[in-house]
Amino acid sequence: MDTSGEILLEAVDLHMAFGGVHALRGVSLRIRQGEIFSLIGPNGAGKTVCLNCISGLYRPRSGRIVYAGEDITRLRPHQRAARGIARTFQRIELFGGMTVLDNIRLGRHLHMRSGLLAAAIYAGPSAREEVAHREFIEREIIDLLEITPIRHKIVEMLPYGLQKRVELARALALNPRLILLDEPMAGLNLEEVEDMARFIVDINEEPRWRVNCLLAEHDMGVVMDLSHRVAVLNFGEKIAEGTPAEVQATPEVIQAYLGEAEGLYASRR
Amino acid sequence: MAYLPCGVYHERYRQEHAWWQTRFVRAKMGLLAALLLVFPLTTNPYLVSVANIVGYTILSALGVQLLIGVCGQITLGHAAFIAVGGYATAIGMLQYGLPYPVSLLVGAVLAGLWSVLFGLPSARVKGFYLIMTTMAAQFVTVDFIITQYVSRIGGRGHYFSLPPGTVTIGPWVIDSDLKAYYLMIALVVGSIAALANLLRTRVGRAWVAIRDNDIAAQTMGVNIVRYKLLAFFVAGVLGGIAGAFWISSLYFVSPEHFTLGWSLWLVGVVLIGGIGSLQGVVFGSLFVTLTLEALGFAVSGLRDLFPTLPDKFLYVKEGAFGLAIVFFLLYEPRGLAYRWQQMKNYFNLWPFAY
Ligand SMILES: Nc1ncnc2c1ncn2[C@@H]1O[C@H](COP(=O)(O)OP(=O)(O)OP(=O)(O)O)[C@@H](O)[C@H]1O
Ligand SMILES: [Mg+2]
Repeated sequence: MDTSGEILLEAVDLHMAFGGVHALRGVSLRIRQGEIFSLIGPNGAGKTVCLNCISGLYRPRSGRIVYAGEDITRLRPHQRAARGIARTFQRIELFGGMTVLDNIRLGRHLHMRSGLLAAAIYAGPSAREEVAHREFIEREIIDLLEITPIRHKIVEMLPYGLQKRVELARALALNPRLILLDEPMAGLNLEEVEDMARFIVDINEEPRWRVNCLLAEHDMGVVMDLSHRVAVLNFGEKIAEGTPAEVQATPEVIQAYLGEAEGLYASRR
Repeated sequence: MAYLPCGVYHERYRQEHAWWQTRFVRAKMGLLAALLLVFPLTTNPYLVSVANIVGYTILSALGVQLLIGVCGQITLGHAAFIAVGGYATAIGMLQYGLPYPVSLLVGAVLAGLWSVLFGLPSARVKGFYLIMTTMAAQFVTVDFIITQYVSRIGGRGHYFSLPPGTVTIGPWVIDSDLKAYYLMIALVVGSIAALANLLRTRVGRAWVAIRDNDIAAQTMGVNIVRYKLLAFFVAGVLGGIAGAFWISSLYFVSPEHFTLGWSLWLVGVVLIGGIGSLQGVVFGSLFVTLTLEALGFAVSGLRDLFPTLPDKFLYVKEGAFGLAIVFFLLYEPRGLAYRWQQMKNYFNLWPFAY
């Protein structure tokens, strides 16, 4: 793996506060092309806030976010999606009343063209577009994530583990360059964790996808196995960064996690 | 979710995307179309006029369904946009001598734009505050602008009357309930088809996504402000079409036709029929209109026993409507459309219920 590659995303000195709570105090990150980059840290460390700043749901109080050479700090979430940043959520945020297929179709929103008039008429361009995207979804996404049997099911009726998978499918439909995964393993059983880890490696390594991943995760085992590089947050500050082996050996990290040692291994809620 | 009959499978996505997927369903829809076309020829004029009211209610409620049921934007001022459509069409014909179809289009687009204007706050506010701004649309448009200013145009007095023979489409003069009925069928079928098509493509999915989870919709690339305003536009256009139909079946137009009461009534129609469902709009409009007519008969039948009852009919009507809504919210919160779907699924899966 080439780790000296070009930088895809750079967060510079992010500060964020909610009332008196300083959620981020000068966090800087650099994610290189091709990487699986993980953010770890105890509960409340600021991982989710950091992802929300990058996807545009929060606006940092100060700091800059540069993506593929462009300053995106002031862009709205949908504009960042249009530049190829997709995400999943710590607490699942699917469109509950829609089918799995429609959730994934929504992920194709930015790649479809039909306007009001064409869509109202349907026959012709709009129908062709629907079929073409349906084929793409079936071939590229549903097969890859092994969700063929559930594609016509209503999402909120599905078990938790499958919902997590559908969220990944929807994010992939965007055809992103960078995908932000907020605790994709939380709440999954052992088998599901293995599947999810495999999917993450697949989308990162398959030439068809080559998606960069920014992973916020509690599960140390998974993080250490999957990541090319890891950054550790504690109380809104970055206390270490490096390869998994380097990070594990850093005294500050051991200290930050010491009080939580049990929590660390029992953190699969 | 609808199930296909046992034993039916598709080989191509194209087939799966079609509305009517089996020959049986297509035959059923053909039968329904034939029924709708011959119905007015076989009954008395009274039932035709009732059918026109049902059609007007459907056209009016479609926009409300789109905003509330599909896109999750509460509106209590939809009558305002129906009024804009009605008045713009009337003025187009009376003042500018435009043909009816052109006036209808102008009225629909104006109503759409007017609706976008009052939808603008939806970019910032939700729920209660949106209720307030849409109610403002009602009062500003109907009670202020139309009553005070628009009604004065041409010095026609408080309401505009359209002499018989004004509403024509080419050589076809719409001067009876029967003819208005066929216009109504064309408009209702066209509007429902267009909306149903929108709902199964990109635009409609974005609307539903905003309703279900606006945060996720944004991060998937939906410009939610733009799509909310688009929903207000389409709802306004549908309202405008309803207004334009109204004047063709009534020959006059007055501010009293577009009260806050009518706006609330439409929300009730949507609740009874089933939130989020186009079938629900049809069922709700049928149910409400027919119940109302039946009540009217009951009231006039009881006149001998209670001589004051007809005077109180308005209250009886509103009371019954309120009760119906409460009943549906309690016992059938997903509306008539859901019940219908359940029945259909039961027969489709028969004889294997699971
Ligand atoms: N919207 C918000 N309003 C107020 N405080 C918030 C908000 N979002 C996050 N915080 C606070 O910011 C801090 C960091 O939270 P964050 O959710 O980023 O932690 P995390 O690292 O994702 O933790 P976890 O592992 O529990 O998900 C916490 O103290 C949290 O209470
Ligand atoms: Mg978190």
